[in-house]
Order: sequence, then structure tokens, then C-alpha cells
Amino acid sequence: MASVELNNLGLTFTVRHDKHITLKDFLVGRIFRGFTQKPMQVRALSGIDLRVNEGERLGIIGHNGAGKSTLLKVLAGIYQPSEGSRRVQGRISSLFDIALGFEQEANGWENIRFRCYLQGETPAGVKAKLQEIAEFSELGDFLNMPVRYYSAGMRVRLAFSIATAIDPEILLVDEVLSAGDLAFQGKAHRRMREMMAKAQIMIMVSHDLEAARGVCNQVLWLEHGTVRMLGPASQVIEAYQQWAGTAQQRGESNPGGQVVQAAA
Amino acid sequence: MIFGSENSTLAQYLREVWQGRYFWMSLVRMDLRSRYRGSALGMGWSLLNPIFMTAILCTVFSTLFGQDLHTFAPYVMTGLAVWSYLSQSMTLGCLCFHQSEAYIMQHPSPMAIYPLRVVLGNCFHFGISLCLAILLALWGTGWPGVLPLLSLVPSIGLFLLFGWSLACIFGLMTVHFRDVKHLTEVGMQVLMYLTPVWYPAKLLQERGLGWLVQVNPLAPFLELVRAPLLDHTVPPPLVFGSALVVALASFAIASWSLRVREPKLIFYL
Repeated sequence: MASVELNNLGLTFTVRHDKHITLKDFLVGRIFRGFTQKPMQVRALSGIDLRVNEGERLGIIGHNGAGKSTLLKVLAGIYQPSEGSRRVQGRISSLFDIALGFEQEANGWENIRFRCYLQGETPAGVKAKLQEIAEFSELGDFLNMPVRYYSAGMRVRLAFSIATAIDPEILLVDEVLSAGDLAFQGKAHRRMREMMAKAQIMIMVSHDLEAARGVCNQVLWLEHGTVRMLGPASQVIEAYQQWAGTAQQRGESNPGGQVVQAAA
Repeated sequence: MIFGSENSTLAQYLREVWQGRYFWMSLVRMDLRSRYRGSALGMGWSLLNPIFMTAILCTVFSTLFGQDLHTFAPYVMTGLAVWSYLSQSMTLGCLCFHQSEAYIMQHPSPMAIYPLRVVLGNCFHFGISLCLAILLALWGTGWPGVLPLLSLVPSIGLFLLFGWSLACIFGLMTVHFRDVKHLTEVGMQVLMYLTPVWYPAKLLQERGLGWLVQVNPLAPFLELVRAPLLDHTVPPPLVFGSALVVALASFAIASWSLRVREPKLIFYL
């Protein structure tokens, strides 16, 4: 039985303006306190209680910077919580930042192999999947070329083909993946739906409310790192839409919201 | 597989490292392959590099100081093999977490595999240089005997332990202070002159600087290789003991710091 449980989970991390403290800052800061910039504490998540049981499809919604992706990374075990606990039963497969993490000098085949290993495959498992991954990516002879020469679209194709060649127990997805050109996107969407159906638990972060409504039965609405609402998909999404509508009327907007509007 | 779960014990941690073995082994293989990609001689450079260095140093020292090549050539070769292994564990180790940032962001693997990636790559080159040194010693000083040769096996274990610890410590320091990478590169230059890598240790002793070798934590590691190959003896207990102490102490520091820093490391990358 796969399950995910978070109890009163919180995450705080420290960032500095230029991200890295130098040795000089460190030494000088020790001697003359107050001279150097103060690190900023970011309270990314707090007081999250969540239980996801087998068969559930959970969507996470909220405005930009609400902590959606951070929560997903905590669920995946990439970020360690500062307080509270995380209990996971089952094997986690995560689909985010997939276009990162290619070895530039290695060719497509080598990259397929080691990324499969990263996903927990054995050599026998990789052998069985290698051909299927190559075919799905439709990259053909390009697989013999170093990944350095791939276009952005080719990279996404390869990454997507590898990342989805798994039988997930618990599947974590960040955003709907827009992979490659139109023809490939159709294929990719079908594949995603198949995977989501196969997984025992699926948790996805989405900005596309309609997609979330279609796929998820539960929805979690995050605001400023806390749970604003958790319940059946249609109910939460409706409440969120209402809130977003009134917020727009009042002329309020969140930091990310502005950027999205400007870009649209 | 559930990596990086909270409150994991050492045994659990090691099991996770082992479960991820196909991943880090393929990274090591790829590092080796891409290092020489596009060069005509490929891996041959791993072989030629120490040969050229030894040839140059031997030419200089035998013409300038009249060193006997039969003993001096294997002396230089062993020195270079050990030195480049240890110094690269530190300089390449500095970036071990940064170069793997993309994987750290995607999958919760135990972080110990990233210094391991660096050290295993180094080990490959160390092995090649060591084989060359053994051949050169056979030519220069004759058959060292079975027991002295066998003593290299536990010594290599110590080298692995020490190399991983160095890479891990320097990697962690660089994550928190970027300057460490540059300091290390400069420091290596200084350290090389303080370590009898290619000049005879006697030179130091004659000038009353023998203590430099005695306090140098890298010196026993040189002796671990030189005693069997040049003097045809098993390394004396004092040498073996000090290498063991240095390796274990650095391992303790490295694993303790990793344990403390690992959960937060990702926020500093």
C-alpha cells in the first residue's frame, strides 16, 4: 500500500543576496558583527498536514511563490524538512527539471543509460528499455551525437522519453510538461495520462486549473506556504477561482501573478 | 528506492550508496570517456603523461645533480603517482557537489556518491601510474619480493579512504566558501614543494628540514608506495600506522561534516 504522510511539516531556509558567502565575509563578519549583510530567512512551508492514500490523485494549486514546487521537492525527499515529519511508503518517481542534468560531452545513448540508473534501474532493466526510449524520442541517429549539440527541443524530447519510461508507484509531476513540437506534444500528453493512470499515487503541481480538474480527485490550495484549503477537486478549484477573481477586482496581485500577466 | 530518508543510520546510508552503484559507476565511466574525447591517443594520455613528466624530471636531475637513474626514475614516478592522486582528490574534489547540482536537484541520492565519483576517476589514473612505477622499479631496482608487493593492497585501500575524505571535505568547504577552490590551487603549489615528491628527501634532511617530512600528513602515503618498490620492504609499522591515523581522522571529519551538512547542502548550491 503506497501512502504519503506529512505531519506539521515546515521548511525554512537561509539565502543571502549574492547566494554565496565569501571567506572574507565569514572572517570579517566574525570580527566586526553587523558589517556584512544579514542572511535572509525564507519561510517556505509551515504547518503542512497531508495524507495521500493509494488511488488518490492530488493536485497542488496556488499563486506563484506559494510553495508548490517546494512542497513537491519535500515530498520527493530532495529538501529535508526543518520541522515536522515526512513518511513515505512506496517508490517515488519524480518528473521535474527533467531538461537539466545531461552530461554534455556524452552521447544520447550514454545519457539514457545513466539517467535510467539515476531513476533506480539495473543494467538488465536498462537494456530492456533502451530501444523503447530511443524509439519514443524519435531522435534516431542523433543519439550517437554528444548531447551538447542537441537543440532545446531535442533535449526535452530525450529527457521526457527517459523520465517517463518507468512504472511509478508514487508519481510526482511539476507542471504539465510541454515537450517538443506539436506532434510530439500529443504523444507526450497521451503518455503522461497513461503514467498517471498507472501510478498508485499521483501528486501534481499545476497552473492549468482545467487540467487539474480533469485529472485530480483531491486538490490542495497553498498560500504563502500554508494550506489554505484541501478537499475534493471541484470544490477547491471553485473557491480558488472565486478568490482569484475578487483579488483581481480589488486590484491586488501577487508577485508572480504580475509577471504572468505581463507575459500573456 | 527511498533515498535520503530522515534519521538514517550509517548502515542504511551505505546501503543506499550501494543501491545507487550503477548510477555513480556510469558517471565515473563517462568522466573518463569525456576527458579524452576527441583526442587521438585517448586513454593513452593517462599512460604518457606520467612517463613524460618522469622523463623530464629525470633528465634535469641526472644532468644537474648526477642522480643515478636506476633509483631516481622509480622514485620520481612513485612520487608523481601519489602526488597527482592526492592533489587531484583535493582540487577536483572542490567542485564535486557543484558539478552534480542537476542530479542533486532531481533525485535524493546520498551525497557521498559525488566525492566518490571524483575519487574513483582519480583512482583509475593512479592505478595506471602505479603499474608504470612498478615496471620502472623492476627495471631500476629489481624484483621487490611478494610480501612487499602484497603490502600495496591494503595501502590502496587507505588511499581510497583518504582520497574520498579529502574530496568530501574540500567539496563541502567549497559549497560554503567559493574561495576555497582558488586557495586550494595555490595551496597545492606550496604543498608540492613541502613534500618530497620529486626531489630526494635527503635534500631536506641535510638542511635540517627533515621535520617538514615528519609533520607532512601526505608523507606516509608516499612512503607506503616507496618502501615496497624502492627499498623492497613492507612499510614499517610507523609509516603504516601514521597513514592509517591520517586516513581515519580525515574520514571521521569528512563523514561527520557530511552528516551535519547534507540536509542543508542543497540550499547552498
